[in-house]
Amino acid sequence: MVNVLDVSFLYMVGQAILLAVLAPFIAGLIKKIKARLQNRRGPGIFQVYYDLHKLFLKDSVVSPTVSWIFSVAPFIYFAAALGAAALVPGLTSLMPEIGSRFVDLFMLLYLFVLGRFFLALASLDAGSSFGGMGGAREMFIAVLVEPAILLALLTVAFRTHSSGLTAMAGVGADESSALALIFAAAAFFIVLIAESSRIPVDNPDTHLELTMVHEGMVLEYSGRWLGMIVWATAIKELVLIILFSTFFLPWPIVGWSFSAKVVMLVGKILLCIAAITLVETVTNKMRLFKVPGFLAVAALLGLLAIVAQ
Amino acid sequence: MIKNFTVSVNNLRAAANACYSKSRHGLLAMFANDERPINGKFAIYCIFDGRNKKEMLLVKAVIDQHAPPEFPSLTPIIPAAAWFEREINDLFGLMPIDNTDLRPLVLHENWPLGVYPMRKDFDPRTVVPEAKKEFPMAHAHGEGVFEVPVGPIHAGIIEPGHFRFSQAGEAIIRLDAKLFFTHRGIEKTLEGMPIKRALFQVERICGACSVSHTLSFSQAVESVAKVEIPERAKLIRILIAELERLYNHVGDVGNLCAGLGFAVGTSNGARLKEYLMRLNETLTGNRFLRGMVVPGGVRNDLPGELLTQIAETIDKLEVDFIQLVELLQENDQFLDRVNTTGILPYQAAKELGVVGVAARASGVDYDLRRDKPYGGYEQIKFEVPLHRSGDVAARLWVRVDEALEATRIIRQMVTRIPVTAKKLKEPIPSIQPYSTGIGWSESPRGGNIHWLMMEEENRIYRYFVRSASYANWPALTVAVPGNILPDFPLINKSFELCYACLDR
Repeated sequence: MVNVLDVSFLYMVGQAILLAVLAPFIAGLIKKIKARLQNRRGPGIFQVYYDLHKLFLKDSVVSPTVSWIFSVAPFIYFAAALGAAALVPGLTSLMPEIGSRFVDLFMLLYLFVLGRFFLALASLDAGSSFGGMGGAREMFIAVLVEPAILLALLTVAFRTHSSGLTAMAGVGADESSALALIFAAAAFFIVLIAESSRIPVDNPDTHLELTMVHEGMVLEYSGRWLGMIVWATAIKELVLIILFSTFFLPWPIVGWSFSAKVVMLVGKILLCIAAITLVETVTNKMRLFKVPGFLAVAALLGLLAIVAQ
Repeated sequence: MIKNFTVSVNNLRAAANACYSKSRHGLLAMFANDERPINGKFAIYCIFDGRNKKEMLLVKAVIDQHAPPEFPSLTPIIPAAAWFEREINDLFGLMPIDNTDLRPLVLHENWPLGVYPMRKDFDPRTVVPEAKKEFPMAHAHGEGVFEVPVGPIHAGIIEPGHFRFSQAGEAIIRLDAKLFFTHRGIEKTLEGMPIKRALFQVERICGACSVSHTLSFSQAVESVAKVEIPERAKLIRILIAELERLYNHVGDVGNLCAGLGFAVGTSNGARLKEYLMRLNETLTGNRFLRGMVVPGGVRNDLPGELLTQIAETIDKLEVDFIQLVELLQENDQFLDRVNTTGILPYQAAKELGVVGVAARASGVDYDLRRDKPYGGYEQIKFEVPLHRSGDVAARLWVRVDEALEATRIIRQMVTRIPVTAKKLKEPIPSIQPYSTGIGWSESPRGGNIHWLMMEEENRIYRYFVRSASYANWPALTVAVPGNILPDFPLINKSFELCYACLDR
């Protein structure tokens, strides 16, 4: 028993490190594909690594009015993202025999909430109008995102009668619940876009302060701390993509070899990236007050999925 | 034809009121002139639009140098006079009596009281001491109302401007703008400068409507010099001016997409604009089409092969541009953002004397090219697009229609230029000192109106520029309240206001 725990613990640490290292690559890939879709050449796919390298070499400029919250928030945000990366059923889902039984759906979700909570506090801390505005908008969106994400994931959890992520990931698709899965997948995809601050909810590439949500919230940060936030955001997005790929793009992989499973997972992640970039290209940002309607659709779809279950 | 009326300062309001009631587009420009070295008087000039084509009404009110430096404000009867009067108060120290808003406009809190830079006895090389005054911003009061200051330094490559929003949540209750941060004193610099050199200063008032400013300047000079420019020069000027309109409008359609995060529109707009700017460089050696228009005509000819190249570029561009526009017209997400956003009502546009695209999107049917024809526009056929809804969408569609109309005018010019006589330029003779002239042209943003008074040896005594953006900036503070803060960048972009055109 002790032995199994150790192995799975090491495994989770390994996965967290792996995802942390890969996350900037995925972020760069999204930027590159998006640029190509928009008739632009775009930055190189390793650009996010260079950006992080640059940011980590720089000092932070800190407003003299801030409290300790401002300085701990990036660390908590980063730790929460790293924790989520350890818990997400990525590689562990490929090897169910070592998957941890302690990994719970709610724990994963509330790690996200923890990070967001501290970032929103920090955004108010400096007292600048943009930070407060970004924080207020982020929370206003979060209120609607959280029920939707929960409903979508609960659809899967109900099927397995467990909120353990490993158990949830272990279940392949069966035809009886295909309808529920489609609803839940649509709901989760909308949430994925909102959570990763992308068009049509937010715009990660904008320089217009007045329209910013996530970027507005972190506007006061610079240097190393900003680097941590940028990195953590990339990790968080990758975790969400993996969640989506594992639960909502099911494929009967029972009996496949390990390498085939890895190829499958990578393929699903790429598919998911393609969908995100396509949405970012064909739509524009919606009016801020239409975002609740958009997210309500996600919550409704999640509810439908549970009913259809 | 310009009808001149000279009145004493006490009769200014009555005279202005009479002209205002007879005018079609109201007050076009209002400025002061320090004529103490000539006749011992200050003068206030008001230019009104006349009712019929080519007619403008100019009211000159004189203030004796020993009389109190004040004049009756026109703002209570003509809202469009507000900014002009504040500027006169700042730069000449002539106070408009009864103007309720005499906050500084051009000179900020660091400029000392009682120093009036546009008076003739102020040496432009003077270093003024740093003053520490207050700069009052307008704001709303009430429970839960808070302020959001933005700028003057912005995140993008934008000129400086400070905006103060009074907010109730995301809704904007009131907006005040503090502008004129980078005032260059071009009007002052031009004083005493020979017109040959002044050309280069005027050409650099603004990048995006460089041709229009130069055109207004040249026409003002030609009107005082009583020079009629050759036919070929007229047509080349029209061609160049329309190319300027085209590249601006095409670029602005793309820029608008950036305001709402529609990346395909942004990158395609930028691509098409670049395409045109490279054509500009081939034609004139300058991406902003500088160097072509000069007083008396144009500097260079456009030979047949260049005209063919223009026609080919325009043909290719038009196809791509129409595709881009169709992409926008069929996109519900996009339309949802632009429709009913940032409405400038007809009445406000009319009273504030709004010009150009912003006016024609709010139903004010006014275009200097058609209504006060200049430089050969009277001989060509073109439509002036008009929309009435006054929102971001209307300003966008006016731009689109005007861009397509510009391609038609350019094609007409391409066929007409080769059949005119080769002559490009008339010499500018010695100009009668202290004669005055007005030049105007319709830039991509609206009318640019220039007024000048000459002195000896073809030097400039006083120069005044009323740019399109100067007339339109106050409209922004009318169109924005009632919208939400994240929509401000979009509304701002739809007006496409220029900071440099204020800081002349």
